[in-house]
Amino acid sequence: MKLYDFMKNYKLLSLFSCLLLVTSFAIGCIGCGEDDEDDNGDSEVYDANEILDHYANNVVLAIYTDLDTKAGELLTAVKALEENTTQANLETAQEAWKATRIPWETSEAFLFGPVDTQGLDPALDSWPVDHVNLQSVIDSDNELTVDYVSGLEVTQKGFHTIEFLLFREGDQRMASDITEREMEYLISSTMNLKDSTFQLQNAWATPGENFASVVATAGVEDNSVYPSQSAGLQELVNGMITIADEVANGKLSDPYNEENTTKVESQFSFNSIADFQNNIRGIQAVYTGNYNDDGPGLDDFVSGEDSDLDSRFKSEIMVAIDAIGAIPDPFRDSITENRPTVQNAIDAVETVHQTLKQNILTLVEESEFN
Amino acid sequence: MHYYNRVLHILILVLILFGCDSEKSTDIINSETNVDYTGALSGGDTTVFDASSHAFSTPAPNLVSEALDKHLEGDVEFEAVFVTAPAVVNPGLGPIYNNISCINCHSRDGRGRPPNIDEKLVSMLFRLSLPNSENEETGNSPIPVPGYGTQLNNRSIYGTPAEGTVKIEYTEQPLTLQDGTRVHLRYPNYALTDTYHPLPEDVEVSPRVAPVVFGLGLLEAIPEETILENADEDDSNGDGISGKPNYVWDVVNKTYALGRFGWKANQPNLLQQVASAYHDDMGITTSLFPLENSTGQSQLKENSATPEVSDEILDVVTFYVQTLAVPARREVENPQVKHGERLFAQAQCADCHIPTLRTGVLSGVPSVSNQTIHPYTDLLLHDMGPDLADNRPDFQANGYEWRTPPLWGIGLVRTVNGHTNFLHDGRARNLMEAVLWHGGEAEKSRETVLEMSKTERDALIAFLESL
Repeated sequence: MKLYDFMKNYKLLSLFSCLLLVTSFAIGCIGCGEDDEDDNGDSEVYDANEILDHYANNVVLAIYTDLDTKAGELLTAVKALEENTTQANLETAQEAWKATRIPWETSEAFLFGPVDTQGLDPALDSWPVDHVNLQSVIDSDNELTVDYVSGLEVTQKGFHTIEFLLFREGDQRMASDITEREMEYLISSTMNLKDSTFQLQNAWATPGENFASVVATAGVEDNSVYPSQSAGLQELVNGMITIADEVANGKLSDPYNEENTTKVESQFSFNSIADFQNNIRGIQAVYTGNYNDDGPGLDDFVSGEDSDLDSRFKSEIMVAIDAIGAIPDPFRDSITENRPTVQNAIDAVETVHQTLKQNILTLVEESEFN
Repeated sequence: MHYYNRVLHILILVLILFGCDSEKSTDIINSETNVDYTGALSGGDTTVFDASSHAFSTPAPNLVSEALDKHLEGDVEFEAVFVTAPAVVNPGLGPIYNNISCINCHSRDGRGRPPNIDEKLVSMLFRLSLPNSENEETGNSPIPVPGYGTQLNNRSIYGTPAEGTVKIEYTEQPLTLQDGTRVHLRYPNYALTDTYHPLPEDVEVSPRVAPVVFGLGLLEAIPEETILENADEDDSNGDGISGKPNYVWDVVNKTYALGRFGWKANQPNLLQQVASAYHDDMGITTSLFPLENSTGQSQLKENSATPEVSDEILDVVTFYVQTLAVPARREVENPQVKHGERLFAQAQCADCHIPTLRTGVLSGVPSVSNQTIHPYTDLLLHDMGPDLADNRPDFQANGYEWRTPPLWGIGLVRTVNGHTNFLHDGRARNLMEAVLWHGGEAEKSRETVLEMSKTERDALIAFLESL
């Protein structure tokens, strides 16, 4: 369909371009080399530099910075738990885990760049946990140093392994049940998690590998990753589309359709609903550019082109966040006991997904950027 | 904001009329007035216009709704992470393996790379075999190494020894181009270390990085006659380029068949390619390969009676890689790119990296059938000279021969995978290095490039980056 649209537009654009060229020559323009940027007369060239810059530095990098900060707080809480294994300290560590999930799930609206190319998404968030191997390692005599745990498979570390150690299987975890070996594993795997969040933050930051500048300077000469602003914006929108699709058609739908609790994300901690809401909040942050501070965001561009679309999409995001929030906790029970609320959330997120795909991406692809 | 746009709009119009705006447009819709857009449609009707990191992982846009659903089911399975049995979700990993999911090697359906210093092997593996003295009866199929099979599995589940790992070292060697420009090529050395079992002295080792997985259904749909028409095994036209078909074992039909996939064209079709990746790379059995990859080795726990991955899953994953879209070219009408395209043909690169082919009918996959495509491959084997040789024959492919890899999407690898490591083992650090590694049948082409001016070399690379 996209291709068909392209061909249709192409014909129209060629016509416009020819007309424009003829006009240009008529008023005495000297031939402009081979690489003219033809204005096709029916749309404007938009400079998306501010949107991309703000997105890279004040949304993505800011969220990764929060992720690293929260992971540091989680590590502190886990160490406190080791020193003094009380129920209160366990609950503090559990809350710290949930707090670290917030920026991570928010960041799933942009799973590209170093998080992918440096293998950090699997290192942080692989699912399922390899319970057989995890138990074998805990039962072994191996010294559970950070180096050792870091060298293990991604299904034996990261968020969900830590979640399993802190929460067990959704039951009331008793601090006194945590064995010494489990505690050692918890400390080392949390240190490994913190290393990964630092690596991720550093990959976007200055000083550091500064991937933020690659995104911020899309379309600037010699940017070989994003040679055009259009490509940079496509990345931004595709990131939102991917997570909207994943929440609607994967995270919510798969366990729901199969009535299968083993497919539920963050099932040990009963944190699924918060996870899904934060995924959609990630879309909201990317679209509006509002995270710690306010915009500019893609909404500035969209509202200029089609203000109805902009306000409709913003309200669809709110509806989706609320619809997910209306599912009674825990999600793993609601897939069988409160099915209409889950279906309602699926529909609301799918609406966000479709608007992104059919309206917003199309608008970006059909527009001209600097 | 709107006012600002208006001003900008007028400014740009003024620039166009009175100045020469050098701003490059990468959007092919607007790049010029006489765009022959068909040249951009690398995958025919399966082409997608996406220059982001999603360029390789989009479903073909011409899939009808049921086919799209099947593709998306395959997508989920392609991302499925396997764990040690017994487990509720995705059991069956290993016990020896190279990776735990398809996507972990073929990240974003894209290209793997050799590890950086201090990294483990992630998206690269090593094939092994014993010398095969031209044994007709076995069709020159690789002879498994006792205790290892035909692939080094460098990872294992807990309590089971992995087969070993590989230490990679590079030696830089300078190369001077005719205009005096000096470049360096890095020559790899692979040392197998930490092996769990003595390796025979004459073991043959072939490094491979994970190739891109989009556009594969189109390649499968190219009629066999078309591929054979381009073959010239004995170089009867005397152009120094042979082009040899590989004939490899077809597990389902129990016969030799034309090889199309893999760095040495050692897989006849995608079903077998996918099943052998489950088997060799993840230790997951299927109906095609019902015995564990550790069979006959000390690591084997047991061979389960039923395959660890069902035929249904195998089918949707095969369909998934058959129906991933091919990204459109960018900058097709840019004069520098057009110049590079002419140089590519003049240097005879296009004799093997054939720009345009027509697909036939692939049963069950109408979206890839009857398409005009621009893969830049002939799917044939060519002698690439001693520097690139792996010295490990693979069916009819001798130790010097490699299959011409498709070049479509090559300019987007940086955006999708964050690196520009090319060739079978990723030794080339950019496209020019990859060109300069070509030897053997491509020696004349390489010499042509060595003699090019900087302007010409830049144009050639600009063309490759537009693919």
